[in-house]
Amino acid sequence: MASILVADDDADIRDLVAYKLTQSGHQVTVVDDGLSALKAVREHTVDLALLDIRMPGMSGLDVCRELRATPETESLPVILLTARSQELDIETGFAAGADDYIIKPFSPRELSSRVQAVLARATR
Amino acid sequence: MTGRGIVDGGLQVLAGSAVVLLVLLVCVRAVRRERERRRERAAEPLRVLLLELLCAEGDEEPGSLQALSALDDRSWAAVEPTARTILAKVSGQARDALAGLFEQRGVATRAMADLRRRGSVRKGRAAEVLGLLRHRAATPQLRVLLLDADPEVRTVAARALGHIGDPAGVPDLLNCLHGPHPVPPGVVLQALTAFGTAGHDQVATGLDDAEPLVRAVAVEALGAAGGVVWTTRVAAALKADPHVEVRIRAARALGALGTPAGLEPLLDAVRRGRPEPLRAVAARALGRLGASRAAPRLGELLDDPVHRVASTAARALLQVGPAGRDELRRAADGARGGRAAAHARAALAEAAIGEEGARSTAGRAAVGP
Repeated sequence: MASILVADDDADIRDLVAYKLTQSGHQVTVVDDGLSALKAVREHTVDLALLDIRMPGMSGLDVCRELRATPETESLPVILLTARSQELDIETGFAAGADDYIIKPFSPRELSSRVQAVLARATR
Repeated sequence: MTGRGIVDGGLQVLAGSAVVLLVLLVCVRAVRRERERRRERAAEPLRVLLLELLCAEGDEEPGSLQALSALDDRSWAAVEPTARTILAKVSGQARDALAGLFEQRGVATRAMADLRRRGSVRKGRAAEVLGLLRHRAATPQLRVLLLDADPEVRTVAARALGHIGDPAGVPDLLNCLHGPHPVPPGVVLQALTAFGTAGHDQVATGLDDAEPLVRAVAVEALGAAGGVVWTTRVAAALKADPHVEVRIRAARALGALGTPAGLEPLLDAVRRGRPEPLRAVAARALGRLGASRAAPRLGELLDDPVHRVASTAARALLQVGPAGRDELRRAADGARGGRAAAHARAALAEAAIGEEGARSTAGRAAVGP
């Protein structure tokens, strides 16, 4: 079981991802913006962060860069969520240090598999 | 009554009417908000059933599907808007499960009937859900809605046709770019791209259209949807179309298609004397092609007097492999003058920042926490 942070300003996506990951046996914390995501990472033990790229205020990319720039969180696995029309963001996401990405609309099953894969890579 | 009295009276009536209108507006809003709150409250316990349906695994029919199918009309009315919103956000088994539920609840049948109603909101909602359900039988009616008087309905119908992907809708999508009730070109482009290979032949008919906008959107859609067999036609549009917008979009399409046949027309399009926006787009497309043969021509562009062309060429050189890097390094050392050196250094510095980030990620993956 891993502790996963989900940051997305879309309540439907947040609920769906949290439900699927909880069903897969993980402990999930949800937030709706970038600043809250950073706060949650600092205050809780987080094994993986799932960040929406486009969030009001601080974007998922900014959060990812901030995590990488901080020694305590530089190796935290990060998966980015992005809309199909924003695929150019993926390149920027990898440059910002993301480990993987998921394109919306997404399959909850595929999301769960990708989370498992990234977690497995991180603990290897 | 004096003239002043009449004016005062009139003003009082006007002020009174304004107050009444304001109160009415506030009341309507409050009622709507309360109704929405009530719907959300009623939908909340059912939301879990929806999530369970979306996250179900295996071949067995989940209990949540039965429960949602059996809901009374009032409860379904409360949960349906949420289900519709989620339908656009999921794919795979989750989308299929939700589409199955909609089928069982008769959503598509009701939406088909709504397409013929007068109200724009109802028509728009019906078109949207039929598109998300990829309900092919709705294609003829959606084609008619592309000419609706309401621009929102036309836009939703265009998107829905793209989701459904029936090539029969392509000619109408091309036609709705012009005329008295046009649909925004960006919406049409997105819809045409969504057809994928199934729509290529129909989209290509737009290359011969008399309207430059139709040719421009058709050529770009072929590029975005990977119509590689049409590369020669796209290249011909870049070379010879009389309208510059069509040529610009053809250049973009050749970059997206990425075939070697696009190289020569693009090298020609970046020459001095061609329209500036075309040169910039063509330079970017050369970068997307990634052919090392493009490096010398892109190198020449680094000292171009048009800033946009020079900076685009510098970034494009980063994408054409070692030959492009060599060009940039030579230019950064001053081989092509001061202006070219500045563009080359900026591009190299930008690349170094990106590569540093990628290296640190790779290092983490190799070492582990």
